[in-house]
Amino acid sequence: MKLIGTFLFLFSSWAIASDHSHDHMDHSDMMHHSHEGHLHEKLVDGEKLIVNPEKFDKFISGLTNAQVAVVSVKGMVCDFCARGIEKTFQKDKRVKKIDVDLGQGKVLVAFDKGIDINFEDIKKKILANGQNATGMQIVSI
Amino acid sequence: MGIKFTILAILFVSSNIDARPISYSGGSTLMMFSDSMKDSVYYHYSPTYKYSVGIEQVKNNYFKDSSSYLRLTYLANRKNTQNSQRNLYFQSGLSTNGVDDYFYGIHGDWETRRWFVGFGLKEVKKEKVGFSQQHLQFGVAPYLGEYGDLHTWLMVKTKKNSLNNDWSTYPVLKFFKGNSLIEFGYNNKTEWDAHYMYRF
Repeated sequence: MKLIGTFLFLFSSWAIASDHSHDHMDHSDMMHHSHEGHLHEKLVDGEKLIVNPEKFDKFISGLTNAQVAVVSVKGMVCDFCARGIEKTFQKDKRVKKIDVDLGQGKVLVAFDKGIDINFEDIKKKILANGQNATGMQIVSI
Repeated sequence: MGIKFTILAILFVSSNIDARPISYSGGSTLMMFSDSMKDSVYYHYSPTYKYSVGIEQVKNNYFKDSSSYLRLTYLANRKNTQNSQRNLYFQSGLSTNGVDDYFYGIHGDWETRRWFVGFGLKEVKKEKVGFSQQHLQFGVAPYLGEYGDLHTWLMVKTKKNSLNNDWSTYPVLKFFKGNSLIEFGYNNKTEWDAHYMYRF
């Protein structure tokens, strides 16, 4: 009991000391770009697009007249936990395609060109799964 | 000895279905557990990612009876970082057999794509017997799979309850792919058990 109690105390202290609620977003690395003709190996408004190149290329293959939101997500540490993100976005009829890049902590969401991609809406969808969206880049295909 | 062994077995298997206690907002999860002592089916629904409500149907193969639990799990704290997630949950269950049959407790975990650490404390009241249970669990992923791959965890769980006051340590293997998760544990007192989970 002492071992568990000690562990619980340490864990709880860690939780309480952490002043960053999961409901609060970190906007420090949030970006919202919309430029055409950029792929993963290029810069988006001077910022490097950090994604798994193989996954990104596979994701955009077959996409035309589309734009891809590359969303940075915190807390997406397991496949099983990320399933809800896919399910939530799939309910949005504007979404053409979605994939998850666990290694880079990114969610790739494809929309038709011309659709206004709202980061606040993206954040709500990610938060509905219990994770935090911290930034977004948009790549036109 | 028989009753104590059975209670230990019940406690052992009950702890396994504490994993992934809350789904995404609007999501549902079906869990099934089976071994020589007990068959259990647990369904829960999460109105938000903060809590889930569910019902667990338990068939006790030793006592030759069945009972249902109404269950509530609440996410008390979560910390997301770029490479990790930490959770603290409150859980409770009330049997339809009456107010003298219930449980409550907390459990928490911290995990990265490679490492997992979890703990739990649970107080159980079953008829006129009350006992507590605690556990610690450690895990490592031998490889880092991508989204959609088969994922594997090698884990060790150690637990103790107030009835025998002994720690019991045993290996656990966990696999998941897509919406399915399956877990196997082996304990020399309860032998093999299996736990299956599907998320809708």
